[in-house]
Amino acid sequence: MVKEDNPISQVDEDEDEKESSNGGEEEEEDDFDEDEDEDEDEEEEEQQLPVTSESRMRAERARMEGIFHRISSERVPLRVHDVLIKGNNKTKESLIEAEVEALKNATSVQELLQAATIANARLQKLDIFDSVNITLDSGPPELPGTSNVIVQVVESKNPLTGDIGIFTKPEAKSWSLEGSLKLKNLFGYGDLWDGSLSYGWDQTSEVSAGVSLPRFMRLLTPVMARVSLLSQDWLKFSSYKEQALGLSLGLLSTKNHDLAYNISWRTLTDPSQMASKSIRRQLGHGLLSHLKYTFKIDRRNSSLRPTRGFAFVSTSQLGGIFPDYRSLRFIRQEVDLRYALPLGFAGAALNFGVAGGVLFPWGNGFLNTPASLPDRFFLGGNSSPVCTLGGPTSLLGFKTRGLGPSEPKRQVKTNSEDTNSDTSERDFLGGDLAVTAFADLSFDLPLKVLRDSNIHAHAFACAGSLTKLTENAFQDFSFQKYRDSFRSSAGFGLIVPTKLFRMEVNYCYIVRQHEEDRAKTGVQFSFSSPL
Amino acid sequence: MDEAIQSEQQQHLTLVIRKACFGLPTACPSCLPVYIYLKFANVPFDLSYNLTFPDSDHFLSIESTKDKEKLLLLSTSVNFCDVSLDLQHLCSLADQIPYVDTDTYVAYNNEKGGVIESLKEDNIVNLDAGVQNLPEWVSTMAMINSWLSDAILYELWVGSDGSSAHKIYYSDLPWPVGKLLYLKQVHNVKQLLGISKETAERREEEIYRRATMAYQALSTKLGEESFFSDNRQVPTCYIFLPTSLDAFFLGHALITLYALPETSVLRGKLLEQANLVKYADKLKAEFLDAGSSSPDPSSSSVPRRGPSNWGKFRVPVTNCSKPKGQPKRERTQEEKSFRRKAKYFLVTQMVAVLVFLSLLGGSDDTEVDADGDDGFDYDG
Repeated sequence: MVKEDNPISQVDEDEDEKESSNGGEEEEEDDFDEDEDEDEDEEEEEQQLPVTSESRMRAERARMEGIFHRISSERVPLRVHDVLIKGNNKTKESLIEAEVEALKNATSVQELLQAATIANARLQKLDIFDSVNITLDSGPPELPGTSNVIVQVVESKNPLTGDIGIFTKPEAKSWSLEGSLKLKNLFGYGDLWDGSLSYGWDQTSEVSAGVSLPRFMRLLTPVMARVSLLSQDWLKFSSYKEQALGLSLGLLSTKNHDLAYNISWRTLTDPSQMASKSIRRQLGHGLLSHLKYTFKIDRRNSSLRPTRGFAFVSTSQLGGIFPDYRSLRFIRQEVDLRYALPLGFAGAALNFGVAGGVLFPWGNGFLNTPASLPDRFFLGGNSSPVCTLGGPTSLLGFKTRGLGPSEPKRQVKTNSEDTNSDTSERDFLGGDLAVTAFADLSFDLPLKVLRDSNIHAHAFACAGSLTKLTENAFQDFSFQKYRDSFRSSAGFGLIVPTKLFRMEVNYCYIVRQHEEDRAKTGVQFSFSSPL
Repeated sequence: MDEAIQSEQQQHLTLVIRKACFGLPTACPSCLPVYIYLKFANVPFDLSYNLTFPDSDHFLSIESTKDKEKLLLLSTSVNFCDVSLDLQHLCSLADQIPYVDTDTYVAYNNEKGGVIESLKEDNIVNLDAGVQNLPEWVSTMAMINSWLSDAILYELWVGSDGSSAHKIYYSDLPWPVGKLLYLKQVHNVKQLLGISKETAERREEEIYRRATMAYQALSTKLGEESFFSDNRQVPTCYIFLPTSLDAFFLGHALITLYALPETSVLRGKLLEQANLVKYADKLKAEFLDAGSSSPDPSSSSVPRRGPSNWGKFRVPVTNCSKPKGQPKRERTQEEKSFRRKAKYFLVTQMVAVLVFLSLLGGSDDTEVDADGDDGFDYDG
């Protein structure tokens, strides 16, 4: 083996040392570490061997330094001869080969080191190995300028893991307490199976099972499939209960783009038999088959307390892509734009946000059909508008589903004289056009203790509107009426961020509301978790 | 509050039923009797269809099914009337649909004994005032609501190939949902009727036998009259008016005759009773196919005018003239215009005859006058 042509005899890249994929800087670090290791080896050797070998070591070191100098200053050509994979008893070779494919294309030492770092990170991300080692060894002696890459993996001994936590999942529309079990790499394709049970804040409960495949039919991004049984109880607010059995397929998932297909069988029932007229007409079964595309950019410096940057989310849903014309057909579009402006004193920042959404059915007779009830927009609730990114949902001061079009519930003839309580009961029907806007000024408090735990104060103002467009309601639409439909609130409060969620204690003053809205001026608690 | 509800109810009733098919305004066995009842009462109402909730009786719990089995065993040894009626109310009337509603008032089918009972109790429509305490009427109602109700349930879901049930309940639901709900309902019906692999043959024979007995009894009871019950309020007159019994039986008969396939055993058994078939066809022509005062958006049949509207309540009066105690029926606009036109026609005819007689110098055709009465025959 001619060492001059093979500048590197051994480079070990341990998982502990690899953190960034910045190849250039890392090369130097690796070489330094390698150098140090070799130095240590050399020192040990020195103690054992007679002094005559010292000169040999010095020569080696000088040679290594020369090589190192060459690598950092000029491009050192190298070719990969073979990639060997070891340690995979269950995992299919094709999966690992796909992740390390870029190594074969490396033409120089620098590229090879960079590719090796990236390959290591990707194999780690599969979440099925306990450790990953990529070793660059010299190639066969008859082929100079080549290198063999040895990928050594240690598969997880225990494929089953469980955990309990507080999460936010898009299907549940709010945060929830969730327990889940994960099964890793059952079939050797890097498949991750999980089953979870979650119970949500608004009496939502969900049982679901899913599988995630990193490589499926040459698709670039992981494919996920999830079957879920969801149950939501809206009896108190809109007099119906929703149950949905669904299958969702995540087709594309990158940092900014997300495309998913969902098909679910939804049933709306009213066991209380007190629903208002519009709700009564909507009860029954339906098949929802829709494609959902989400585009998201979040350049804020924090999602819990943003002080700089902007964020934009756009979600488009097309319902009705199913061969059967009787499935639910609608188009739904939501946008959400945020901006945080630092004010330069006391950690203060000004957060602005505006969100809007529109829903409209399509198909035969679409002008007269009402929009599907669970897909409508509902405003109100206890979550902070600063943290919840993704469409018009919150308006502080108003209760869950507490504003918008409403209808009186059924009146039952009672023998007693307490008819007053029944007459005020209303069902909130949601709307087809929703707009919310808020402005929030957050600042640190003078006490150091509070500053250290990131407890801060804020003053806010929000406004929102929820109106109906379907069933020919848009023909009565006028700017004056629309302006009158806006509700608003303002207030101030204290924010306490904890590890799991963000808690706020606010005093809200309702500036403008409609007579039937459920809103209250006063102190209220609000909880959010970062999405 | 009560008066407010009452006035509101009477103003703008909407009946929500399952879709129209097989030439009937609805072919669902629990919905059609309510529709017919409102038509008998000549109450104006709007129609609205619920196409997506075929199993609105899914609140029926297993426990009550088990109770039903126990009570069924008990009922065979005791007089079935009252016990059976309660069971049927338990089981078949657990369906939310049909219902009658206004903006804030609702009469669901699974409350207070059914839509018709609710309407009676809330003083909206009551056709049974004179008869609902008569033992014969009550036992006939019990027979219809147990034996015949079971028979049609069996025939729709188990006895036939299910194509009728598919069309009535699931034709507006997407295929996978409809298919699964159909299978679930077949299973529920089998449980309800106590049909299992061992008992299937025995139960089928029992259900058909009871249906045949019921048809024979009803045929005997009806005879040649136009309705089943005579109003005993006026003792000396036998006036046959429609009651909810007619609504229930007519609903059953029409579905059996028109919605079930031609190979259906139950249909064959009903066809053996000619007077019942004639009764069903006649009332269908008079009340369901004829034009009505309320808008019927789904109906595409041309409303029949003419003598059929006149003959709504045939009154074979024997001893007295028209009793004053009868509730006044509002004549429809079409009836009024028809009467006017008929009067003009007859007057014109009479004038023509008189002119003929006077101009042509009088003959001895005095029978012409008698023949002129043909126009007054309303039997058509």
